[in-house]
Amino acid sequence: MLALKRYAVKTALPNGLDNLLAHARPSHGDPPNILRILHAVCEVYGYIDPQFIPAIAQSQGVTEADVAGVLSYYPSLYTQPAGRHRIQVCLGESCLANRCDRVVEAIQSALGIPLGQTTPDGRFTLEPVSCVGNCALSPSVRIDGALQGRVRPGDVPRLLDRYR
Amino acid sequence: MSRIRLYLSNDTSSCAAGTERLVEAWRKRSDVELVRTSSRGAFFLEPMVERESPEGRLAWCRVTADDLPKILAGEGGIPVSAIPFLSMQTRHTFATFGVTEPLSVEAYQAQGGLAGLRAAQAMSPPAIILELKASRLRGRGGAAFPVWKKWDVAATEEADRKYVVANADEGDAGTYCDRMIMEGDPFRLIEGMLICARAIGAGAGYIYCRQEYPAARATVQAAIRAAGEAGWLESGGKPFVIEVVSGAGSYVCGEETALLESLEGRRGVVRARPPHPAQSGLYGKPTIVSNVLTFATVPNILARGGSWHASMGTEGSRGTAVLQLGGRVRQPGLIEVPFGLTLREVLDQFGQGMADGARLKAVQVGGPLGSLFTDAQLDIPICFDAFAKAEAILGHGGIVVFDDETDMLELSRHLMAFVADESCGKCVPCRIGSLRAREILDTIQRGRATAADLSLLTELGDTMKATSLCGLGARAPYPVLSALEHFPMEFHSRLQR
Ligand SMILES: Cc1cc2nc3c(=O)[nH]c(=O)nc-3n(C[C@H](O)[C@H](O)[C@H](O)COP(=O)(O)O)c2cc1C
Ligand code: FES
Repeated sequence: MLALKRYAVKTALPNGLDNLLAHARPSHGDPPNILRILHAVCEVYGYIDPQFIPAIAQSQGVTEADVAGVLSYYPSLYTQPAGRHRIQVCLGESCLANRCDRVVEAIQSALGIPLGQTTPDGRFTLEPVSCVGNCALSPSVRIDGALQGRVRPGDVPRLLDRYR
Repeated sequence: MSRIRLYLSNDTSSCAAGTERLVEAWRKRSDVELVRTSSRGAFFLEPMVERESPEGRLAWCRVTADDLPKILAGEGGIPVSAIPFLSMQTRHTFATFGVTEPLSVEAYQAQGGLAGLRAAQAMSPPAIILELKASRLRGRGGAAFPVWKKWDVAATEEADRKYVVANADEGDAGTYCDRMIMEGDPFRLIEGMLICARAIGAGAGYIYCRQEYPAARATVQAAIRAAGEAGWLESGGKPFVIEVVSGAGSYVCGEETALLESLEGRRGVVRARPPHPAQSGLYGKPTIVSNVLTFATVPNILARGGSWHASMGTEGSRGTAVLQLGGRVRQPGLIEVPFGLTLREVLDQFGQGMADGARLKAVQVGGPLGSLFTDAQLDIPICFDAFAKAEAILGHGGIVVFDDETDMLELSRHLMAFVADESCGKCVPCRIGSLRAREILDTIQRGRATAADLSLLTELGDTMKATSLCGLGARAPYPVLSALEHFPMEFHSRLQR
């Protein structure tokens, strides 16, 4: 079948990835660590373009299937670029007990997108998270790493305004 | 003019509550010196500001930036020792929380830190393990396995390398004591790991920290550097390197064998046991995987003796229980008390009942895999054995209180969907069972299920309990089936007629 045939297309790597991969090559005798290299790529580029899988596999001396397997296993290894601001709403049990569903609704209607999506203007990505350890101050919302506690639905417009 | 020293917690939750805003507002003032400490864990009072006084620390609670003149004048502060939520506790592992600066090696030692390690260095490795045996300490990560037995196995294995791994994945929603330790008293974790390294003869350590805890990771990394500079990081005359490794959002990676797979950089899939990690763990070498709180409990045991630890608690659960109260209670926060108090006593005395006008419906103890308790069942003592007898778990000490607005069918669906998402896929009962169970719960919600579906749910649950490879699948049915048992009408009323 045509669709299954693989073409060896050499995709151009973004600036610096070559260098990063060369540095992350396991030193002599050390076992490769796929998760570690994927973390490193994600940290620098914000996400891991599946097109980079062959280069990553080669740098670690593992198969592409090994890399793809690890990449698809871990929820926070992103394979798509996010919006400029990442909003994470906790859906853990303490936040659930404190009506985080209403906070989710308020954010969804303010942004016009469901959980797991990015606004068309690329400003916000809205995603669920399972407990950020702020359970004594539920419900919790984290925006670009800044954590908010005791969030009420009415707080949402003011919260988002800071990132307009 | 001398500056007045004010203490504010640097804990993630305290910052989220508002200490960060206070620091922002006050940091340029010439009349105050702001000292960032760990948190006392009385989060319902945060943001909290403290000052020294002849009667010990005074606290101002739920402070706003405008309260500064009052604080400077010394008006309205209450002695910390008079806050019942704190004074009723028996703090050992968390004794210095709220007092010290997390990254000060001097403060750590001035408060008795390193006494455990010094004691251990004067003992032979088998003597350390005997001390732990006498302490009767059981692991705090969930499985409650006797700590000394694991250490003994790893110590007697012959190997060219051995590892110490701190499980800092803290995946149970509703728990945060590991986060508080890493952010507030990281040297205690490091000291516990060093004692373990000496006891089993390990040469390297890892701290596997969940990705959702960026501040904890940074603080532990800084603490490792500081400990290295202070010359603490050695074991048996050789350097003992500790590395912090970040998780990537997978719950099952808190399970010890999945954690090891993840540490090796692979998919976090559960390994069949035996062999246990203490025999064959990281890269096939003997490895102690223990919870952060477990390691943090060890230094006091070596410093004060195993019998001191064994003198607290109940027959099968010695020492203190570290509970984390969340959900719809009036006073959520961290509680350290000897094992043996009842769940009701904890909720009444520390939680002070429900938040504004809410009525209690159910209490989940032990994270997303923990059983649900109704009001009538709250007289159960907090200890491993009573919980095991009730087919419940204490887990990592998370207690989440749900109010009467909670839809138990929706909660059940949420918990089962979580397991279906997080299943590593290695064993069929968990992978397929959780998916089918979630589908059945979906069908009930849509009003399309029959009584036969409910019996299938129960049957499926029994199979998962009996045949899953790890605790994820084996425990997943408990909260759902306990909801069905205690609140049958919420399920039956939505069946198709
Ligand atoms: C699904 C699942 C998730 C777990 N998550 C954690 C966790 O986040 N942290 C933890 O310390 N133990 C967790 N455990 C328990 C570990 O497998 C292991 O028992 C523990 O780390 C051993 O440490 P301890 O002896 O100090 O309790 C989990 C177990 C299961 C089955
Ligand atoms: S449950 Fe939301 S922060 Fe823990």
